Amino acid sequence: MADSISRRKFMARATLAIGGAIVAGWAVPAAAYILGPARSSDRQREWRPLGSPDKVEIGTPTLFKTRVERTTGWVTQEEEVSVYVFTEDGRDFQGLSNICTHLGCRVRWVDDQDVFFCPCHNAAFAKDGRVDSGPPPRPLDTFDIRLEEGQLQVNLEV
Amino acid sequence: MHEPIDHEVGAPASWLDERTGSRGIFEAIFLRKIPKVNWAFTLGSATLFVMVNQFVTGILLTVYYVPSVQDAYETVTYIDGSLPMGWLVRGLHHWGATAMVALVILHMLRVIFHGAYKYPREVTWVTGVLLLLLTFAFGFTGYLLPWDQKAYWATTVGTRILEVVPFVGDWLLRVARGGDELSAVTLSRFFGIHVWILPALMLLLVSIHLFLVIRIGISAPPKKED
Repeated sequence: MADSISRRKFMARATLAIGGAIVAGWAVPAAAYILGPARSSDRQREWRPLGSPDKVEIGTPTLFKTRVERTTGWVTQEEEVSVYVFTEDGRDFQGLSNICTHLGCRVRWVDDQDVFFCPCHNAAFAKDGRVDSGPPPRPLDTFDIRLEEGQLQVNLEV
Repeated sequence: MHEPIDHEVGAPASWLDERTGSRGIFEAIFLRKIPKVNWAFTLGSATLFVMVNQFVTGILLTVYYVPSVQDAYETVTYIDGSLPMGWLVRGLHHWGATAMVALVILHMLRVIFHGAYKYPREVTWVTGVLLLLLTFAFGFTGYLLPWDQKAYWATTVGTRILEVVPFVGDWLLRVARGGDELSAVTLSRFFGIHVWILPALMLLLVSIHLFLVIRIGISAPPKKED
């Protein structure tokens, strides 16, 4: 009965193939579903108002704060973003993050020493954000700043 | 009487069989003798398949679903709208639930019309009836979890049915809702029942049900002279 054996074999293989397709039908969407939030961020960049440029003394970084709404998953939260704005000539403005690149502490501008100082591990950054001393691995992050209709604006990820 | 069974077993299968008896288990489950039957006899297997689908997709839904009044609806919307394939996972669970209720009832009707609940299959029948009730309980508790208007009011009305029970109706209503009215407590309880208590009971009962189906064998369709 060679014929009946091959039929049995055929049925066994067809069952395996269909079963495999069904399992794949679960597994592939499941993988996409679980890995979905790990996709690279699709956040937009937007210009946000900071305030009047008159507050910025020439040569002295000045701290500005603004709020952005950020959505992670299904939760939308308002976050505060702080930016040190700095100008040499009152026309070109540069923005620096106040978050230390070492472990994320807040740095502050120390006027008489001309550095951004991080109290956590005594790190110092120069006025343009370069590392002066201490453990930080890279300069302070920068923000693009522009002057629009008499207002300072910062380019943020929202 | 035994035909030689050809299922292309290699060395790993023999290795496993020698230590676990896996070949005997496989043959008992998949190569058992059955009477000449028709397509209506696949309804139990179809129900089992949909149940597996409910377990798979249900577990996936709990990856993101949060059973709190603040988050429940938000997370369902997130699963449906923002996650890749989220609509598919939830859709399979949603329609699978409906299919499961329909299949389980058709399966029961098949058993009734063939008289397959009679000796020696009474215990299989009783576990089957309990599984039917469990399926309804799954449907009722699952319906609330999206926490939208439909879910809220359907459960408000559904739990109120308990109120007409003489003497203990008020108490039963409070038990079902976990308080006087639908609240965060109701949602949390329904979630716990839906994803822990009912699946545990269902696995237990399905195991007994299937064990008996395999042990006793399925009944042949009744003949004219029966």
